[in-house]
Amino acid sequence: MMISLKRMNAILQKDFKDFSRNYAVSIVIVIPILLAAFWGRMGADSIDMHYMLINMTFGMVAAFVQCCLIAEEKEKNTLRGLMLSPASTADILGGKSLLTFIITMVVVFFSAYLAEYKPANVAVIVVAIVLSSFFYIALGTLLGLYSKSVLEASVIVMPVIVIFSFGSFIAVAAEKYPILQAANYLPNLQLIELAAKVEAGAGFGDVLVEFAIILGWVIASIFLTVVIYRKRMVD
Amino acid sequence: MENIIEVSSLAKVFANQTAIESVDFHVKKGEIFGFLGPSGSGKTTTIKILTGQLTPTSGTAKVFGESVSLLKKAEYRRRFGVLTDNSGLYGRLSIYDNLKLYCDLYDVAYSKIDEVLDAVNLKQEKAKKVSALSKGMTQRVTLARALIHEPELLFLDEPTSALDPTNSLHIHEGLRALNEKGTTIFLTTHDMYEAEVLCDRVAFLNKGQIQLLDTPDKLKKSYSDSTITVELTNGEKVILPAGSEGANRLFEYMNTNQVETIHTNEPTLGDIFVQVTGRKLA
Repeated sequence: MMISLKRMNAILQKDFKDFSRNYAVSIVIVIPILLAAFWGRMGADSIDMHYMLINMTFGMVAAFVQCCLIAEEKEKNTLRGLMLSPASTADILGGKSLLTFIITMVVVFFSAYLAEYKPANVAVIVVAIVLSSFFYIALGTLLGLYSKSVLEASVIVMPVIVIFSFGSFIAVAAEKYPILQAANYLPNLQLIELAAKVEAGAGFGDVLVEFAIILGWVIASIFLTVVIYRKRMVD
Repeated sequence: MENIIEVSSLAKVFANQTAIESVDFHVKKGEIFGFLGPSGSGKTTTIKILTGQLTPTSGTAKVFGESVSLLKKAEYRRRFGVLTDNSGLYGRLSIYDNLKLYCDLYDVAYSKIDEVLDAVNLKQEKAKKVSALSKGMTQRVTLARALIHEPELLFLDEPTSALDPTNSLHIHEGLRALNEKGTTIFLTTHDMYEAEVLCDRVAFLNKGQIQLLDTPDKLKKSYSDSTITVELTNGEKVILPAGSEGANRLFEYMNTNQVETIHTNEPTLGDIFVQVTGRKLA
């Protein structure tokens, strides 16, 4: 698959201008930052609390923003214009994901800073957060491709925000109800697991299983997104 | 002359509804080909198949000598432009920013933006936000976007449907200039005047099938009743046959200064369409 950095950059620039004027969607990026500032002042410093915030950022920013951006392109028929241009699938999906990725990273950084989260091993956590963000952006793209409008997108992405933000509660419920054991393999719970191990002194070699599971989710979600996108290219 | 579009026994069925069936035609390189028909006759379906947006149920469609399934490749997409009624623009961005994106996607210099905006009479408005434009202006921006990379082949679906006569005329001039530079144009319209002034050949599409296909001149001549109407100075209108008998009577009227106006009775393309299909173009 050919990738053109020029085309991806053009889509990124266009998305940046468009997003900065789309207050209905862009307002959500301040919510995790406000919560982080609030929790930081409250002294909430457990790993579960930090990762509730980080996973919420993934749900509200990576998934929600991406879902709305894609749904709006569909609703306004602009995605068809991109599809009919020489831009490849990678150019379009990559370009459309870049803005969400940058915003997500900025919001995660500020949220972590305001909540005074200081990981024991920054490198491991950064790789894990970047990898996790790919999954949520792909999930947002997938939901956006299924939505007919921004309104519909903002509704269907809600369960994602809830399920992935409050992962710790699912883990507690899984202990009580064995049927929910499979939920322990969700990427949000794996991220919490990984972060907990890092706080206990683990390095890259000690969290390979968690990385592999998150990577599996990333590959599966990107694969599914590309398949659905290509189906959407033809009416 | 080389064929740029070749369509053979093309059919598309949606659920239980046939959109087009047994459609055969070709478009020569450098031609302006008109696809005429009322709403729902299958014009947009044909354009969507020819641009790779829709898979045909049966038959073959080739563009640039290759099956339309190959149009998904970037090297082919660079060679054609599309304007359909659902071609979207980014409402929060300016006209200039919308076109700048497409310059980057097609590797075209930004200087081309002024050129295409001039062609659609919008050069002075380029800083305006698209959401603030009227329907006609939006359609002109969409057309400018389709022209920005000077495609070899341009698909236009009702390009002047929302425009006033002055802007339609301006667009027609622009399209003719583009065609003179070598761009082949596949145009769908239900505007008979547009078809007559622009198209080298036209096909009448009705209920998904081509009913007639020829040059506008030949169609008008073949459906003409070979008469002329003479309006006399006393207000009387006389229909004369085109042969020697008519000529003698016309000479007599002219000799006695009774002729006010003379009109040939060629049918319009609209008249022919109604005659052939029993339907009006709307």
